[in-house]
Amino acid sequence: MGMEQAWLLPAIPAAAFVVVALFNRFIPRHGDWLAILGMLAVVVIGAAVALDFQGSFDHGVFSPGLEHEYNFEWASIGDVLRIDFSTYVDAITIVMVTVVSFVALMVMVYSVGYMRGEARYGWYFALLSFFTAAMLLLVISGNLLQLYLAWEGVGLASYLLIGFHWERQSAAEAAKKAFITTRIGDVGLLIGIILLWREAGTFDIQQIIELARAGHFDETYLTVAMLFLFAGAAGKSAQFPLHVWLPDAMEGPTPVSALIHAATMVVAGVYLVARMLPVFDEVLVARDVVLYVGLGTALMAATMGLVASDIKRVLAFSTVSQLGFMFVALGAGSVTAAMFHLFAHAFFKSLLFLGSGSVIHATGQQEVERLGGLWRKMPLTTVTFVIGGLALAGIVPLAGFWSKDEILFESLEGGSTAVYVILAATAGLTALYTTRLIVLTFFGAPRDRAAYDHAHESPWIMVAPLVVLAALASVAGFVALDGVGEALGFAGGIGELVFVGEHGHAFEFHSDIAVPATVTALLAIGVGLAYWWGTAERAARARAWAPELHQLLVQRYYLDDLYQAVIDRVVLGAAGVVAWFDDRVVNRTGVDGGAQSIGYTGLRLKFLQTGRIPNYALAMAVGIVTLALVAFGTS
Amino acid sequence: MTENDGFVLLALFLLPLGSALLLMATPSRERSAIIGITAASSLAMFVLSVYVFLSYDYSGPEQFQGVRAWTWMENVGILGDKGIQLKVGADGIAAAMVLLTGIITLAGTWVSWKVQYRTKDFFILLYILAAGVFGTFVMLDLFFWFLLYETAVLPMYLLIAVWGSTRKEYGAMKLMMMLLAASILIFAAIFAIFTEAGIGTFDLEQLFAADYSTGFQKAAFPAIAIGCGTLGGLFPFHSWSPDGHAAAPTAVSMLHAGVLMKLGAFGIIRLGFQILPEGAEFWAPGLLTLGIIAALYGAISALRQTDLKLMTGFSSVSHMGYVFVGLGTFNAIGITGSVLQMFAHGVMTALFFLLIGAMYDQSHDREIPHFSGMAKQMPIWAAFFIIAGLASLGLPGLSGFVAEVHIFIGAFRAYPVVGGLAVLTAAITATYLLRMFAQSFFGEMHPAWGGLRDMAWTERAGAALLTGAILWLGIWPSPWIDRIATTVQGLQGVTL
Repeated sequence: MGMEQAWLLPAIPAAAFVVVALFNRFIPRHGDWLAILGMLAVVVIGAAVALDFQGSFDHGVFSPGLEHEYNFEWASIGDVLRIDFSTYVDAITIVMVTVVSFVALMVMVYSVGYMRGEARYGWYFALLSFFTAAMLLLVISGNLLQLYLAWEGVGLASYLLIGFHWERQSAAEAAKKAFITTRIGDVGLLIGIILLWREAGTFDIQQIIELARAGHFDETYLTVAMLFLFAGAAGKSAQFPLHVWLPDAMEGPTPVSALIHAATMVVAGVYLVARMLPVFDEVLVARDVVLYVGLGTALMAATMGLVASDIKRVLAFSTVSQLGFMFVALGAGSVTAAMFHLFAHAFFKSLLFLGSGSVIHATGQQEVERLGGLWRKMPLTTVTFVIGGLALAGIVPLAGFWSKDEILFESLEGGSTAVYVILAATAGLTALYTTRLIVLTFFGAPRDRAAYDHAHESPWIMVAPLVVLAALASVAGFVALDGVGEALGFAGGIGELVFVGEHGHAFEFHSDIAVPATVTALLAIGVGLAYWWGTAERAARARAWAPELHQLLVQRYYLDDLYQAVIDRVVLGAAGVVAWFDDRVVNRTGVDGGAQSIGYTGLRLKFLQTGRIPNYALAMAVGIVTLALVAFGTS
Repeated sequence: MTENDGFVLLALFLLPLGSALLLMATPSRERSAIIGITAASSLAMFVLSVYVFLSYDYSGPEQFQGVRAWTWMENVGILGDKGIQLKVGADGIAAAMVLLTGIITLAGTWVSWKVQYRTKDFFILLYILAAGVFGTFVMLDLFFWFLLYETAVLPMYLLIAVWGSTRKEYGAMKLMMMLLAASILIFAAIFAIFTEAGIGTFDLEQLFAADYSTGFQKAAFPAIAIGCGTLGGLFPFHSWSPDGHAAAPTAVSMLHAGVLMKLGAFGIIRLGFQILPEGAEFWAPGLLTLGIIAALYGAISALRQTDLKLMTGFSSVSHMGYVFVGLGTFNAIGITGSVLQMFAHGVMTALFFLLIGAMYDQSHDREIPHFSGMAKQMPIWAAFFIIAGLASLGLPGLSGFVAEVHIFIGAFRAYPVVGGLAVLTAAITATYLLRMFAQSFFGEMHPAWGGLRDMAWTERAGAALLTGAILWLGIWPSPWIDRIATTVQGLQGVTL
């Protein structure tokens, strides 16, 4: 078993989806164990694929050859259009498969506890399987059209899972918003894919990359195509200006947020740009757009995370911000740094989400202003959450430290000093909002007595995934190190494994980056502790210091309002005009008017039929004379 | 398909016609006999249509297969040899359309057993309509082609006016007047073609091969395009369609939006593209322009509709706009996409109307804002509706995407800007559908609808059949693409 069986990865959860969705009523426990067993099989096969891949990987030398690519014709029109089902496995795929299958397994196990007793319990597990199938299909796709298919598939799963509690109108609205916003990005993605096909004549990603490197495309054309493609990535990965859906997506069940809206689906955009980075390298204007969009989003989302009051929304803004970090890395030209951060982020962010789920499960409360002091009641949740938070803040030696360091280094190398400074400041903000979240949730005095009294540590089936993920969040960063990499089978660490282009490079420790970054993070944590520890007074004072600024952040820069206004006024207004035009001009004037004018003409013309002989005789005489004149004139 | 399969093609439209006659002879109080006859007949039609589709040999050298002719009139008056004959034969496009008709007739029959008022007469007219549709798709003689085309259109008037709802007289009258006016154009064009060809025959295969001056082709093509286009819902001649759909009873809406509108687009290919290729090439940009306007215009109008059937009607205008965009690209990918879209839109819109009917028959209300939380009360119904909606907004893995992506690619090949607008339309489609879902299906259930039952088993079976077609085309489209593409690539003048 090896890379040629990569198609099994999506096939297994897809089969689990069909069985569980259709027959969950007849299966014991609504088939949750089937979904979990399927996921377990995927983890095992994923490992087999990785091992096989590792066999073909020889100390920094990896040439993607034919043996990693499998084609199967899906549809074709003669020689003009050929659409394949194809799989392609390389290091980026391996990272993605590992992350997706492992986090999905953890989330499914956790869900057994979290979703217990829910209506539509079986349907929930069916949807998780469906999502995983689509996500795995996405990351093994060898061609862009198949990727698009999977891309929309994960979007659908996200829609259905955000709206899982659809009896709540807010959940239904959030699901709609998520789907439509990402759909706007997907318009760009599909246009980009077809534009690439138009010049390349193929959807195959590797062939497109080769053609781009060979200078087959016109530069302007390629820039436009890649920008369209990036629009899709920005929509899926919630980057400005399409980031608005992700905070609302927190309406979904919390394990779903951990899987889809933190660790896997939202990184699809990062994956896409990483996959296509060799093409972006040919058009640096497009790559710069990636960098600056990522930078702007990272900063903006971090500021919004600072004031959000819902524990899940803070994490959502944090996710948006961290995805921005990954795009900065890609914009700076480093697939390694982006994929490394993606890998590390998946573990600590899903840990944080599952931890917040544990809190919500225990207290029924998700407003941080009403939590507090939970460490006494939920020690394991607290410890794991703090580990996740420190990893997010970038504290040595946790996962986030290594990957963020790498991104900061790349932003200086491939970007500029200004980019580096802004990004470093954003990293500081990250530490600050994380501190606020942890302090308000777990420490200080309980602010809502009822919620606090109700609280208890979650059952082991929920805590166990937390512990596993906390362990991973602690050690995942070490894959950057040469020795660890060698032990795992890729000498030189992740830098020598995951790269595109000429060669990888081993991880170097940049003390000139790491030391200031750590100092900043520690300072931010200190400031955060000073403000939020104990009473809420100091925090309130900070708020009063600049109420307009606070309001601007709470209202999310008024972007949601702006979009809503555009939809209500401009889009629906235009639709009203068109509907009016159709009703009045086309229908009543054109069609009904036409019919009425015939009736009216008949009404008028009937008076010609007077019934009086002299009138007829006159008409006849005029007719005869006219005819005679015509006949005379023409002869 | 062998020559003897010509009898199958003949049976395709003689079967519904014969069933209609048989029904006439059945006393209307014998309800079970009526149901028995229609069950057997529709199943037989379905089986035959599947057979026609599968047995069409797309790798064979013959474009038209199962060709058989019975001469009716020759060497009299203006007619020469083989003047008028009953000649049947199918190409890849016709094969796909026959399958579509078979599927929708079967599902439409099942859901129509609910009709209580003059059930027998309803089925008689419905089957005459079906005979006309089947016949038009497989007819290779222009005279009979037009005769059957009209046979398909005329029963609509009675079906809507007698069994319809909301403004049914207005809807029926408008539909009939517009379609008949359009038919006059086709009628004129047919005789102009007959005269210009000057070979004294209505045999389509001979007419395809005949010579026409470029000027004539350019002059005659618009008559065909507008004449057939009106039936296909071509902007700005679409106005009959939303009102007609809103007024028609369930099965009639299904057959009408599902199959009859496709007859219009089919006519443009059969008469326009195949007889008048140069005219088609000349006017293709015009068709494309009207198509993209219709796609956007229908989608934007649908945003503002509150009546569920009107929304679906405008959605049909929008989706049929894609068909004209595909035809207007005048390349193999785009036209293949058009025919795929005819099939995809057919099953999808039939499913829409089936579902709307299943609800409206109980609630007698179709105003979207009046509903909320329907997924609670009618979960199966809502699930089917969501599948149809997802197909409509072009979700990959369902039929709509396969068709649309071909049209998009074809359009990008010809005119990238049009391609971009077409892709954008898909996003607007998502908007109006998801707004409707969030409003009507989700949220707290409106207590007024607590008495509604979920779908009856006949409706479930019909919906399952249509959903099966949606999934099959979406997941494994090769059987369609292979058949359609061979025929499209054989069209004269079409670029690759």
